[in-house]
Amino acid sequence: MLNQIEHDGVIKRYAIGGAVGATFYLEPVSTLDVDVFIAFKPQQESIIVSPAPIFDYLKRFGCKMEGDYIVISGWPVQFLPASGPLLEDALDNAVEVDVEGVPARVLTAEYLAAVALQTGRAKDKAHVLQFIEAQALDRTKFAEIVERHQLVDRWRDFQRQFVE
Amino acid sequence: MKNNFDFERIWESKRALRRRLATAPIIEKLRMLDALHERAVAIRGARFREATAVREKPGRYGDRKEKTS
Repeated sequence: MLNQIEHDGVIKRYAIGGAVGATFYLEPVSTLDVDVFIAFKPQQESIIVSPAPIFDYLKRFGCKMEGDYIVISGWPVQFLPASGPLLEDALDNAVEVDVEGVPARVLTAEYLAAVALQTGRAKDKAHVLQFIEAQALDRTKFAEIVERHQLVDRWRDFQRQFVE
Repeated sequence: MKNNFDFERIWESKRALRRRLATAPIIEKLRMLDALHERAVAIRGARFREATAVREKPGRYGDRKEKTS
């Protein structure tokens, strides 16, 4: 469905993030929803970003709304604009993974960890720790992202609190 | 059976389980995620603890600044 939305031009690009994205690199972790980061086409970026076109499109396929979410295949999906340099960068560098013949675009482990580090809630920090414990991060790539997006202080604090 | 717990062995078996799950085929992990989701929804439906539950604020993705005034 996500590939179809992109193919039909409703959005420019998508990538799965959050706990579902992390499942591509770690053991599955219970979550209630799916976070999908999206970029709109240039002409859409000049106006106020609204998820309405996505919802209208999906409703035509029988998807129902649940608050801010739209339910796709039984999962509440939240579409989040990739706003800010880190998320834009993460979306640009997302990778395609084959899921039984269907391509799915997912944020890389390093960007998932960096986004979690930036978001900074307790559960996000737990996700960062999971990536470290599972040795799922390319340390060099992660360090580059941390430096490029001014997360060095956060990363230092995180290491002091949880790793050292 | 020993009547004391060998925590080191327990942690190691947990680590091994996590490693095995992490390296499982993605389709298998997505099926597990579906099952976990159904369970989480069922647990969330038991709302009797709602009033006393400690909740975290929803996440704010991106680096937008909070308004201070």
